[in-house]
Amino acid sequence: MRKKRTFLQSVLLYATVLFWCFIVLFPFYWLLTTSIKTQISVSRGPKYLPSFEVPFITIIDEDGNEVPYTTPGDFTPTGQHWQDLFTRDRDEVVRHFRNSLIAASGSTILALIIGSMAGYGLSRFKYYWGRLGWDNENIAFWIISNRFLPPALFVVPFLLIYSRLGLIDTHSGLIIAYTMFNLPFAVWIMRDFFNGLPIELEESAMIDGASRVTAFLRIVLPLSAPGLVAVAIFSFVFSWNEYLYALMLTNFEAITMPVLIAGQNNTRGIQWWFISALTLTAVAPVVVIGLLLERYITRGLVAGAIKG
Amino acid sequence: MQEKATPSVARKDQYAVMKRVFLYPAITLLLALSIFPLLWSLGISFTDFQRGDQAIQANEGEEVSGGLGFNLTLQNYTRMLTDERLHATIRNTFFYVFAGVIIQYFFGFGLALLLNQHFIGRNLVRVIFLMPMMVTPVAAAYTGRMMFDSTISPLAQLQRTLTSMVQSIGAALPGDFLDNAVVSIPWLTDSFVAPLTMVLIDSWQWIPFMTLLLLAGMQTIPDEIYEAARVDGASSWRILTRITFPILLPISATVILIRGLEIFKIIDVIMVTTGGGPGNATESLTMYIFRTALTFGNYGYASAISFALLVAVIIFATLFLAGMRRVTPR
Repeated sequence: MRKKRTFLQSVLLYATVLFWCFIVLFPFYWLLTTSIKTQISVSRGPKYLPSFEVPFITIIDEDGNEVPYTTPGDFTPTGQHWQDLFTRDRDEVVRHFRNSLIAASGSTILALIIGSMAGYGLSRFKYYWGRLGWDNENIAFWIISNRFLPPALFVVPFLLIYSRLGLIDTHSGLIIAYTMFNLPFAVWIMRDFFNGLPIELEESAMIDGASRVTAFLRIVLPLSAPGLVAVAIFSFVFSWNEYLYALMLTNFEAITMPVLIAGQNNTRGIQWWFISALTLTAVAPVVVIGLLLERYITRGLVAGAIKG
Repeated sequence: MQEKATPSVARKDQYAVMKRVFLYPAITLLLALSIFPLLWSLGISFTDFQRGDQAIQANEGEEVSGGLGFNLTLQNYTRMLTDERLHATIRNTFFYVFAGVIIQYFFGFGLALLLNQHFIGRNLVRVIFLMPMMVTPVAAAYTGRMMFDSTISPLAQLQRTLTSMVQSIGAALPGDFLDNAVVSIPWLTDSFVAPLTMVLIDSWQWIPFMTLLLLAGMQTIPDEIYEAARVDGASSWRILTRITFPILLPISATVILIRGLEIFKIIDVIMVTTGGGPGNATESLTMYIFRTALTFGNYGYASAISFALLVAVIIFATLFLAGMRRVTPR
């Protein structure tokens, strides 16, 4: 039995939770309303509520004229910026959105394949690197420690290697760089999931004549689907949101959404209304992923951070 | 937790071959993308390598005959000792790490305690809490810049309202007291406030991370422990400080370490909101390295600083882990 709350405690609890929800949600609301404000509505101080004309309902004003009914609000919305985004700037936006999609999906797929293989290896085989004196635990720790290396360390070598190999401003260049960051976490999470599966599952299949690879693909992987989903989400979201490497390794063709958004500052001056629309476009996919797959994310975080 | 396959199976599935097939792609990739660049960077940090040198090599496809186009030197490391801007960025970075971790842990823990209660709509609230974590940091930074803007933001309006309120109070009071008072916080333009604003934007994004993980930890604590404590007449505060908090210490250590290491890398938010300004008041170490390499083209020095950053990170992590090991009850 849990302790009963007093009325006052309940009020405080709900008030605090609501307050935090407000802090979390208000910036999203502000982006949304700013994206439908005219330039004047933005620059003439903050406006909070759009007033819409309600179709088919009219009211009679003081002069006896029929005027359309509008909902209360302090600015008149405009769809102009969204229209601009999808007509005038369509090619640019689509190209960068596609670049983000390619880079994020590519590195996600690579991290999934290579990461689950290595995770399986570390969970099922016994390694001992005599020269370093490393066993599975050491290897796993070395792999995850790569995730926490400061990216600044790689700025110069990646620039040099990439320009030598002609990987600057290419999709494959971004995919390779992001895979390096996604892989450690993928290995870590998948190893944890495989550790939770009984080894008898594969052994019985292998006694029945299945090869190790078949057992892995047909039995182990399907059972660890939640882990795969978590890895996919983390990798995708990380690559989608990444800025430093995208800025450094691309200059025109392969520019991703974060770089496009950050660049608005210089090219057009601060056009908050347009930036808001662009920002919402960039953020929408990952936020939707987060809302739909919340339980996988929490589970993956727990597997990655607590059990590890 | 590693289990050895039974011998009969081991023979059948070529154990020795398979264990390499599964692990080595990842190892190879990390060696090529992490260890090799690291060593190379370490080498470059001992040279006066500039962007131009690279251009010569790239154009001719071969290294310049009669030399490498750059010299071996220790000057990058000696320069670090006297580089005021570097020292400022190091101070800023440590401020971000400590202020960020403290704020995020404090609020994260509090919110986790709340979410650990039963109330209507708890699952919905958990999903809402997750949203900021998903947002592109660059986007969060722009939104933050809009929120903290000195003229068009609701916050600015609030400050203007407060100003007129304070002034009307001042008018009612005798004398000049408060008559010309102005409530205005220069969120992004003051060299003392702007770094804190950066931390606030980062915290908006990452408090949920702390909350979700600490909440997961709290949910593993069995109810019986709380019941026993209550039967013994322990107050809620005592239960929090003597049971919940100590049990969560290991998880706390992990999340603080993860967040700390992540904040060491902070760059996106600062690039977009202040660009490192006013002056260099908000510039982070990562940002300085990035500028040294890309804007100034000084690859040697950029590599040297990045190794200083690596050393700082390792010292931070080691000290932190050692400290936690002392505190954590085993």
